Amino acid sequence: MFEIKNILTISKREITRFRTRFTGRSRFVLIAIILLCLLISYIMYHQSFVLSKGLYTVGVSPDGPVITDNRFRVVTLDLETACVMLHNNTIDIYIHGNEAMYTSDQRSLYAAGALKQYLENREVIRIANEYEINQAFPLRIEINHLESPADNLDTEIEVSLSDILGLTETSAAPSAISVPTEVPIQDVPTPSPQHTESSTDAAVRQQLSELGSGSRLPEFKAEFASDKDIIIPSLMDPPVPLAQVIMAFFYVVPIFFVSVFFTSSFMEEKTNRKLVLLLSAPVTPFQIILGKMLPYIGYSVAVIIVVTLLLKGNMLLALAIFIPVMLFILSVYLMVALTYRTFRDQTFFSVLAVAAVTAYLVAPAMFAGVSDLSYISPLTLAVEMYRGESFGLTEYLLSTAPMYLVFLLALFVGKRIFNEEYLTGFRPLHTKLGEAIYLVMDRNRLYLSVFLLSLFLIPIVFMVQLSSIVFASNLPMPFALGAVLAMSVVAEELAKSAGIAILLQNNIVKSLKVILMLSFISALGFLIGEKLLLYLALSVISESMFTAAIFSTGLLIMPLIMHFVSTSMVCLMTARFGIKYYPVAVIAGAVIHTLYNLYVLGGIL
Amino acid sequence: MNRFLVLLKRELKLITKEKTIMFAILIQFFIASFSSVLLIGIMSFYDPESIGQNTRIPIEVGLVGDTNSPLSTFLMQKNLRVMSFSNVADAEEAFKSGYVDTVIFIPETKGGIVDMKLVLPHSDTLQTVILMVLQEPLEKYENYLRETNGVQLNYKDLIGRPHTTYEFLYSLIVPMLMLFPAFIAGSIVVDAVAEELENKTFDTLQSAPVSLNGVFASKIVAGVLTAAAQCILWAALLRLNNLLIENLDLVLVFSLIVAAFTSVGAAIIALYFKDRERAQFTYSIALIAAAGLSYVINPSPFSLITRLATGDYYTGTSEVALYVIPLVILSVLFFTTSKKLLAAKS
Repeated sequence: MFEIKNILTISKREITRFRTRFTGRSRFVLIAIILLCLLISYIMYHQSFVLSKGLYTVGVSPDGPVITDNRFRVVTLDLETACVMLHNNTIDIYIHGNEAMYTSDQRSLYAAGALKQYLENREVIRIANEYEINQAFPLRIEINHLESPADNLDTEIEVSLSDILGLTETSAAPSAISVPTEVPIQDVPTPSPQHTESSTDAAVRQQLSELGSGSRLPEFKAEFASDKDIIIPSLMDPPVPLAQVIMAFFYVVPIFFVSVFFTSSFMEEKTNRKLVLLLSAPVTPFQIILGKMLPYIGYSVAVIIVVTLLLKGNMLLALAIFIPVMLFILSVYLMVALTYRTFRDQTFFSVLAVAAVTAYLVAPAMFAGVSDLSYISPLTLAVEMYRGESFGLTEYLLSTAPMYLVFLLALFVGKRIFNEEYLTGFRPLHTKLGEAIYLVMDRNRLYLSVFLLSLFLIPIVFMVQLSSIVFASNLPMPFALGAVLAMSVVAEELAKSAGIAILLQNNIVKSLKVILMLSFISALGFLIGEKLLLYLALSVISESMFTAAIFSTGLLIMPLIMHFVSTSMVCLMTARFGIKYYPVAVIAGAVIHTLYNLYVLGGIL
Repeated sequence: MNRFLVLLKRELKLITKEKTIMFAILIQFFIASFSSVLLIGIMSFYDPESIGQNTRIPIEVGLVGDTNSPLSTFLMQKNLRVMSFSNVADAEEAFKSGYVDTVIFIPETKGGIVDMKLVLPHSDTLQTVILMVLQEPLEKYENYLRETNGVQLNYKDLIGRPHTTYEFLYSLIVPMLMLFPAFIAGSIVVDAVAEELENKTFDTLQSAPVSLNGVFASKIVAGVLTAAAQCILWAALLRLNNLLIENLDLVLVFSLIVAAFTSVGAAIIALYFKDRERAQFTYSIALIAAAGLSYVINPSPFSLITRLATGDYYTGTSEVALYVIPLVILSVLFFTTSKKLLAAKS
């Protein structure tokens, strides 16, 4: 109770500090700017936003089509002038009646490609209006799902191809398709007496009405093509969760904005030397950190609730998805605030943190529904939530457990490094990192410290490894696998040996026996963490070919021996040649680790 | 002038001293050079059809029924491997054992509606890729059927090049890379001004034989120079990736005009609020508001860079020069009121 009281006191102090920032004239200026920003966002949201405005210049003959796409700057020209202008490259393409003229110039070719897409869409609308539905859309394709070797699904009901093909006369229209309530295209043709209604006509009308309603963004199907769906090639739309990713982003942006106040709060204590006073007060570092964080947690939860209400989402699910995201973002900022001392440092690393966190959250979510790897980001869960889909507990744990763990780790590290000497000292980044690891460990419980350090560094290693998959997957195949393997082993070797190396640097550990024992404990901690994650990851990400390489399977004893050998190699080399040669030692350990991985991979392939 | 150079040198030294900027820029480059996956992802937002264009997965298509249909030719034109099966059981066997990725059942065509069946695996990933790859041949077949039904289609001779990547790179990536340093420049200026104010080092500087505006100008110019360095680096990196920026000189000049604008704006905000927190917060919100407002200008900063970089005939020096006007107005406003702003209470 006393602890909670202390935390609340610090929170109150933080809120007061925050309030003083918004007094007097500055309050009105800030409110005005925020309102202006909201107004502009609202107006932009209701306008069609085109980035490539006026990118191409198109000449059109007086009897040519009307082009309303903003990408094209349209000029009405006669044929003669147009030919001269095409020749001079002063227009990119010319539409003469129903014919297009363009040159072999790069811009001209791209303009032709863009115009082709635009005019094709117009043509679809034109023929939909001018012809009978059976003439305009003669091809209807029914999707049938069948189990293939790529699926690995155990519980599917066996359906054979002949069953599917035998069902040629489906009596009912697919359940996903309903008759449209409104008909935005001028006239969706109704069947004439000559045309007998086909069972797939309803599907065509449905898709036509969606096309006519202009924006299909907010609509999103659970799957690109569900079983028994009817697709029409010229009306087919691929599954891009843009609207859902933007929705998910609404939750994150307001948290980024206030982060400057959170980081500055620590900064101010440091520069104004209030930290000394605070540390001499009867409050623990943990209480200070949590107390300072609490108002921002409250604010973020309020943001989550308001955004969910506005977007009409599922409140409990939204809270379950975004609370870990919010805690993760705040823990990243906590680390930035505690590690850096100057303003510029903070600005750069805050910008970097925003970029990295956004990339980590948004990039996988873009592939929601396309690849199971997208589950590494909780935003994928949000995308699914707004699509009206469900996800399992394993998917939830895979994407959020690393975030919860990073938060707990950040709190613990923050608590340990929260002393004046560390917070106000100005030293290079790697020295500061080393000091932080040193402070995190309990010198009276070395074995336990090293064990837990290895175990808790797993989420960070996991994130690094998953990012390395993303980064490497654009390389050609053997190199991609090589790059992932290399980055993964270096990250693992660093995680396992960092603690012991720091102990060696500080002369806490000297004897060979202790180094070997610590290496073993570190290897064990790492292996336990690794296998726990493996259990989670394999149940979700079954499609990635890299998983086998990263989470090397097999007997437990072999990986343990490998972890032990590589870690003790790194630590013994560091003990023998000094901390200066630690990077070399890590590379040596990584080589051993890689050889083992190649051996395992050889077995798998 | 010499005094100004001394001040400028001091500012630049402060920026590079911590090595964090170099570190941050290096990380930016690292992410950028590896992020083609991100690029494809964002590109599929920009134009979903690019999923079909970007995939290089070899797809084998099994055909059952009317295997002499023109669809077979259209599939082969797309460089897909096509296997014809005489009966359903063989096709099923081939699909289940993984020899073909998808099976299309083509009924005999007698004009009118063709109800086709397409067999896909359950996997979302494969489904999407297969459907996106099949879209073009299926559309061609649809057009063929339309013609046999007497539907006249225009603009079929228009081919061109796939434009998504081109538009995406020039209308999003290039402007973003050229303007991002300008946004950072403003942030640096906020820090530089706020730091002096919070650490009360302005008083010391004022006793030096330099004018107050000289001090501010040195901070603004230092911010603009870091933006210039980043823009040049980005342009070089894009060149290495075979992305040519036309009118590079004008693009760089324009980026620096924007950097100068954000820096002067940032200096005003920092002087007004006098502490980093509120100044940075206001700066980031104001930046978004300004970016939104600039969209209504024709050409907006984004589309001006796009048009310059693609070598648009109608865009050049005069459009860039127009942007000098707001910069001059803002600068005059700042340098004439800086003393008052400094003295005023926040």
